[in-house]
Amino acid sequence: MAFRDRLLATIRAAGPVLESADVLVVGSEVPNLLEPGLASTLIVSQDLDIGVPISRHAAVKARLPALRPLLAPSADEPSVWLPHSPDLLEVNFVGIDPAQDPADAYVLDDDQLPLLVFGALSLLAPGADIEVAGTRILLPRPAGLILEKLVTDRTGEKGDRDLLVALGLLMTSAGQDYDELEAAYRRLRPELRHTVRSNLTLLSLLDAREGMPDPRPWRPNVAALLRRLEAGERDQP
Amino acid sequence: MSSALERRVRTLRARSAVRAWDYRQRRHARGAWFRLRRVLADAKAAFVLAPEDARQLLEVGCRAEPVGREFDPPKLILFAPAERVARLASARKVPVRLDRDVLSAGYLALIPFDPTTTLARA
Repeated sequence: MAFRDRLLATIRAAGPVLESADVLVVGSEVPNLLEPGLASTLIVSQDLDIGVPISRHAAVKARLPALRPLLAPSADEPSVWLPHSPDLLEVNFVGIDPAQDPADAYVLDDDQLPLLVFGALSLLAPGADIEVAGTRILLPRPAGLILEKLVTDRTGEKGDRDLLVALGLLMTSAGQDYDELEAAYRRLRPELRHTVRSNLTLLSLLDAREGMPDPRPWRPNVAALLRRLEAGERDQP
Repeated sequence: MSSALERRVRTLRARSAVRAWDYRQRRHARGAWFRLRRVLADAKAAFVLAPEDARQLLEVGCRAEPVGREFDPPKLILFAPAERVARLASARKVPVRLDRDVLSAGYLALIPFDPTTTLARA
């Protein structure tokens, strides 16, 4: 079964939770869903990340039984729900706390649905809601998602692919998204701004990878983004 | 309490501590790699040069990038106009990447991107 079909089937299976208010699809599948016709050509990990605002935790928990026919929580880690069929992807629940420091993380403990609350997800803001496989899903605004990718330490193959996901988002963004990205960047503390710029230099020097956007034609644009973020930046090593 | 999630939190906090340490060292030797990547990020193309050709570029006013002196052995890295580099007999084009070609080069000419390029694709 094609990856796109598995992604769409998983969205359908997780529909009762995804249609809960304020719940976001986050992570590397977002650019796949933003491709024309939901083409889903990027090769990323085989899971669907669902961002649950901590204020909506109880409401999401109440909808979990509706997922049971097709998915069940992992015995090892109940924030991961495993599919009964190989035609679906894993579903990974993560927490969003808008008040959290972007560099920190904590566990929202719960017997039924514990959540790892990633600080970087606090940079996300709700964006477009789109219909996918008959399910209304809410996506983050591109700027926050790009910044979330760039503010996190990236190492190894997974890190490189995450940076290319950020590139995929930059490629489909427009003027307003860039303005939002810059404004959100300027609200970060200096250490995190440095991490963003450092990740952009890594992105600039990456080679092409199969199934991912080719960064090489975009190098001048990445350099332009670096210049834009550096303008007025007093803390440059 | 989920021990798997707690382990991930500990890992994330450890990474965060390393990042803060890296950041505090950014003006020292550890920051040299960022500065080298930053210079390369502005380069449209890179050419390995013979020492005499690199010195010729210095003589016509091309400025040595300070980051080159932060490595041992030191590197002479300079930005130069493409047409001038094209006239140098020794110039050998290499990919703009942190790979063996760039890291082993003692003399490197970089061709800058057009600084008027904007973020949006033309």
